[in-house]
Amino acid sequence: MKKILALALALCMIFALAACGQQAAPAPAEKPAEKPAEAAPAEAAPAEAAPEQTVLKLWCIATESDANRPGYEKAIAEFEAAHPDIKIEWEAFENNSYKTKIKAAMMGGDTEDLPDIFFTWAGAFLGDFAEVGSAYCLDEAYKPFAGDLPEVMLQNSTYGGKHFGVPLTYNIVTLFANMDLLAEVGYTEIPQTYEDLTACCDALVAKGIIPFGCAGSETWCVTEYLEPIIEKTIGYEALGSIFAGQGSWNDPAIATAVDNFQGMVKKGYFDPNGMAIGNDQVKANFIDGQYAFYQNGSWNCGEIDAKETADGVNFEAALFPVMDSAKATYGQVIGGPSDTLAVCAYSKNADLAASVAFELGRSICHYCYLAGSGLPAWTPDYDTSEVKQLVSDVAAIVAKADGMVLFGDTAMSADPANTYLDYVAQVYGCELDGAGFVEGLTKDLG
Amino acid sequence: MKKLYSNKFHILIFLLPALILFCGVLIAPIGASAYFSLFDWKGIGPKTFIGLSNYKELFTSNSIGFLKALRNSLLLAALSVGLQLPLALALALALGKKIKGERAFLSVYFMPVLISTVVIGQLWLKIYNPDYGILNVFLRAVGLENWTRIWLGTKKTALGAVLVPTLWQYVGYHMLLLYAGVKSVPIELREAAMLDGATDGQVNRYIVLPYIKPIVRISVIFAVTGSLKSFDLIYVLTNGGPLHSTEVPSTLMISMLFLRNRYGMGSTIAVLLILLCFGFALLINVMFKESEE
Repeated sequence: MKKILALALALCMIFALAACGQQAAPAPAEKPAEKPAEAAPAEAAPAEAAPEQTVLKLWCIATESDANRPGYEKAIAEFEAAHPDIKIEWEAFENNSYKTKIKAAMMGGDTEDLPDIFFTWAGAFLGDFAEVGSAYCLDEAYKPFAGDLPEVMLQNSTYGGKHFGVPLTYNIVTLFANMDLLAEVGYTEIPQTYEDLTACCDALVAKGIIPFGCAGSETWCVTEYLEPIIEKTIGYEALGSIFAGQGSWNDPAIATAVDNFQGMVKKGYFDPNGMAIGNDQVKANFIDGQYAFYQNGSWNCGEIDAKETADGVNFEAALFPVMDSAKATYGQVIGGPSDTLAVCAYSKNADLAASVAFELGRSICHYCYLAGSGLPAWTPDYDTSEVKQLVSDVAAIVAKADGMVLFGDTAMSADPANTYLDYVAQVYGCELDGAGFVEGLTKDLG
Repeated sequence: MKKLYSNKFHILIFLLPALILFCGVLIAPIGASAYFSLFDWKGIGPKTFIGLSNYKELFTSNSIGFLKALRNSLLLAALSVGLQLPLALALALALGKKIKGERAFLSVYFMPVLISTVVIGQLWLKIYNPDYGILNVFLRAVGLENWTRIWLGTKKTALGAVLVPTLWQYVGYHMLLLYAGVKSVPIELREAAMLDGATDGQVNRYIVLPYIKPIVRISVIFAVTGSLKSFDLIYVLTNGGPLHSTEVPSTLMISMLFLRNRYGMGSTIAVLLILLCFGFALLINVMFKESEE
């Protein structure tokens, strides 16, 4: 009797444990067929009776402090008003943690938690998802929008001839200058040559003004300085080829460019405190007039312009000057369409999500362009007279651009990109000179 | 009941739920990590079996810098045992003497353990801020301008600056463990020693310390394994920088897993961390056992 009782008790415990467990996840959905959306919202006929609402999850990095936040809010509100049958459930995550989160979520494969639409960076970041089939092919969904979105804007999110991303805005590395501080050392315009720029920096240092602000603790900020210098030394085609893994780092001209950059660091052109503070604080310092220059993405135009409007500080935008005119021109820029929306291949509504991603992308681009947080990847079909002055200046620079190379850490896949960033950090920390940089990267990356 | 205990099948049945939980929560993830450590894998997509190559690369590659990260962890462990524990012990012995305000002191010293590590990290970030941080402000105020530093931004000072709050945060934790031990020493033993003319120091050395040795052993194990696993505060303060000077195996693991997409290498670091923690725990146990014998 006791044996039976003990067995019954044990079985009860096992069943109780099993009952507490989660219900088995549904069987993984088959890889979605790449067929056109049957009822894309762009072309959907208005329903006679209110249909059941389809919920689409969207993950992005437009947090409260992000310059693109208002653009997302307006675009989503506008979309939901126009499409009452679709609800966008969106969540925003901090930039760095998002990189971890989206990769970890995709690792899990088909789960209920995955978003239907997700923000991503073009280049290698999205490329990894496309390669393993986690990102949905958008070729068919793109067709109705091709008139508003030039195909050249999709080149950074195209893999094996297939489109996987909806570009939002695009950005370039821009040299912002506080013209009031420059005026204190006798400059009325941003120096156009390297010699002139160093002379200006020397004058600023002599007057006790820090020329540049750069967040050394965030290495991507250092690349915003180093990459234009390398590009303006070896030319955009050579740099683009290296980032694409086709060219070699083994080029003495790169060592010269790196030494020139390091020379600027050693001469005290950069705020030494920048090694310990983040980019947000560096940007705030520049806007508050602590540095004469700040070289970073054009997405900062809106914030810098706001200060100009509020306090009458005079800011201007330009490009880093040419270092070797035999190989590079002033109009060669670092940047391109990178901020992108993609669709998760495991989404139950992948076709619908693809069309929604394009509609949202167009709208987000619209509002972010007007807010000054990026240049339009989509052709504007709205009044642009309200566009901020700095954004217009940068747009004018891009209009005259001779060539464009995507940001190095975006163009390269994760492992080589981080190896590259390690070397960049060592250069900024003066642990490695140009020759060491070239030697190390040639050895590690080719 | 005796019959029930004598039947191994029954014992197995009753242990099964706990065994399933233990294996599912602890053993299976370790096994999975060990398995993944044998692959070159991006985290998504196909895996390539590479045997022990990840382990070999970890110990030979300069660019990964595992040995440097391990050295930082061992330094933290040494400081934990050499500085943090003696300080915690001194506080525990002082508070164990029924001093006035004993409870208040206990709460104050234990407070950093209760505060979220991220909050502590943010507080120390502000303390170390080169512009407005209280440390540099204080040094300037007392005329020690030359002593001001970019504490978290230079290789020379970053590791020390990170170790200070890491050690400080858990002094209270070890103090509480040791305090419980000190309080458990029978009063008769203390009184007998005092009657024989022993001083406070002698009572602590010959009565209290031998009595609380098992707790000291636990504290040492926690301090050493905690140091090897240290992550959160360093992640908030420097994320392993500048130039990897504050890198520890855990930050390196996160970097491999989520920045470099090297899940095989990240798993390798995880496996080594587990082995190191078990190894040190065993070693400490053996050392204490030998000293007891």
